[in-house]
Amino acid sequence: MSSLHQLMIESAARDPDALAVTGPDGEFRYGELDRQANALAGELAAHGVGHGDRVVIWTPKSAAAIVAMQAVLRLGAAYVPASAATPAGRLAAMARDCGAGAICAAAELFALIPDGLPAGAQRVNVTEFLGAGHGEPERVDHPVTPDDLAYILYTSGSTGTPKGVCISHGNARAFVDWAGAELAATPMDRFASHAPFTFDLSVLDLYAAFAARAAVCLIPADLAYAPSRLVEFLHQQRISVWYSVPSALMLMMRDGGLLDRLAPASLRAVLFAGEPCPIRYVRWLSGWTWARLLNLYGPTETNVCTYHEVCPADLERDRPVPIGKPCSGDKAWAARPDGGLARPGEEGELMVDGPTVMRGYWGQRPQVGPYATGDIVRVLTDGSYDYVGRNDRMVKVRGHRVELGEVEDVLNAHADIAQAVALTVGEGLETRLVAVVARSPGSDPGVLALKRHSAQRLPAYMIPDEIRFVAELPRTASGKVDHLTLANDVARTAPEEKAP
Amino acid sequence: MTNTPSEDQVSARLLAFIRERFLSGDPRGELEETTPLLEWGILNSLNTATLIGYLREEFGAVVALEKVDATTFRNVATITSMLCEAAAKPSG
Repeated sequence: MSSLHQLMIESAARDPDALAVTGPDGEFRYGELDRQANALAGELAAHGVGHGDRVVIWTPKSAAAIVAMQAVLRLGAAYVPASAATPAGRLAAMARDCGAGAICAAAELFALIPDGLPAGAQRVNVTEFLGAGHGEPERVDHPVTPDDLAYILYTSGSTGTPKGVCISHGNARAFVDWAGAELAATPMDRFASHAPFTFDLSVLDLYAAFAARAAVCLIPADLAYAPSRLVEFLHQQRISVWYSVPSALMLMMRDGGLLDRLAPASLRAVLFAGEPCPIRYVRWLSGWTWARLLNLYGPTETNVCTYHEVCPADLERDRPVPIGKPCSGDKAWAARPDGGLARPGEEGELMVDGPTVMRGYWGQRPQVGPYATGDIVRVLTDGSYDYVGRNDRMVKVRGHRVELGEVEDVLNAHADIAQAVALTVGEGLETRLVAVVARSPGSDPGVLALKRHSAQRLPAYMIPDEIRFVAELPRTASGKVDHLTLANDVARTAPEEKAP
Repeated sequence: MTNTPSEDQVSARLLAFIRERFLSGDPRGELEETTPLLEWGILNSLNTATLIGYLREEFGAVVALEKVDATTFRNVATITSMLCEAAAKPSG
């Protein structure tokens, strides 16, 4: 195995003029990205970044972010991606948690770098540095082992604080190598990159493209949920491999006119992951395009560990397509509540073991042995798996993992709130995050005040879509919040979706 | 156009839509023209898409996506200005 960054280095050596990235900041060829990555790596090294360090990258979705990732990897360090939408408070918490040695920020975010970074953390203005031009910088390619960390992705944690999922070069390569082979990617391919770089879906787009000397076409964050513009992007960019959460595809079908136009001739694979895709949308997709349709599954902690290719028989189902069988060299099985192995027809918690399973959460004990996903699956007769649901309070909102406890913790920290309960209503694209709030005696916080409070502490997708006030939360006999009654109350009184 | 609404009317309709759709009716009347919509998490990705659909239906305004940014969509006042500027330009 070689390193994750070796993929771009090799592609740049073989064909420096091949198009590597199109983004809001321009088009970049492999040779140019390679030079810029070497230059920035030299600059970071001068700031003291070296093997084993962590570097936070705070940029909008851009080629500059990719250069920064490559530069960090070439030093044998690990990058920690943040997006332009990451609140400064969360950024500082991430940087402190992983003890970041440096923060690379785009020009427009550089002035917003918060206080409270780890002592000695260096600040680098990536935009300014890359704009300066650096001739022919020295090659940087620090040797790494498969166990060295490549990146850390911060996810919503069950304890209420974000957890840093540590992915090594070996973890990432096991997945990327599988994906490249499964897709038979070539230099002719053009990958769409829909997911933010903070989200593990983006790993396939970037590195499967770099491995194949293909181009990756970045979708800026403000386009990511603009239905007709996404459809336009798919056609104009002649995308051959599309990968996104189902929500984006559903929006394109429902509001973007995707199905009203012929599928682009370039399109040969549509991949989706992150949440179940309602079957009727899969039927529409399959009637629209000859492209392969692939459902990928895997928590951030395991990368993609199972997949299923949609086949005609699936279209007769009345539930989402299966999450399929293990891939990326992983083993997966379903454990029954009594610990036994679930057999066909039975349900159990999906367990995953193999090369893609993370090294652990930053600052916690290393992950040893199989990872318990917390996802309940049903074993099908052919040995593949059907997704049934979560066994805890982690939910998906438009493809993003949201630990309800973390949302509640933030709301409960507000002085005017006695207790808040977060839950979701609706399914798929219609999923809405609702907070039900009991006020502190004598206080009267407004919806806006609480939204603002949340926005300062949580990423945008974790801010409740709706905040409801109640005099008292329903409770069970034991005095615990009665989640079932609350969920029924909220669902029953959900505002009807009207056409605007 | 003969029925071009005034800036005040546009702003009032936008406020009413945002209150009803994104703020549970805003019972305390907190939303103002200058309330930061993106910064305070009132407009998320999905709400922004809904709002753009509303602007198209209600005002016939096709919002070019390069206009959907932190400047134009900062608050109701900036969205109103954008709509009224677009309406002032001769069409075609």
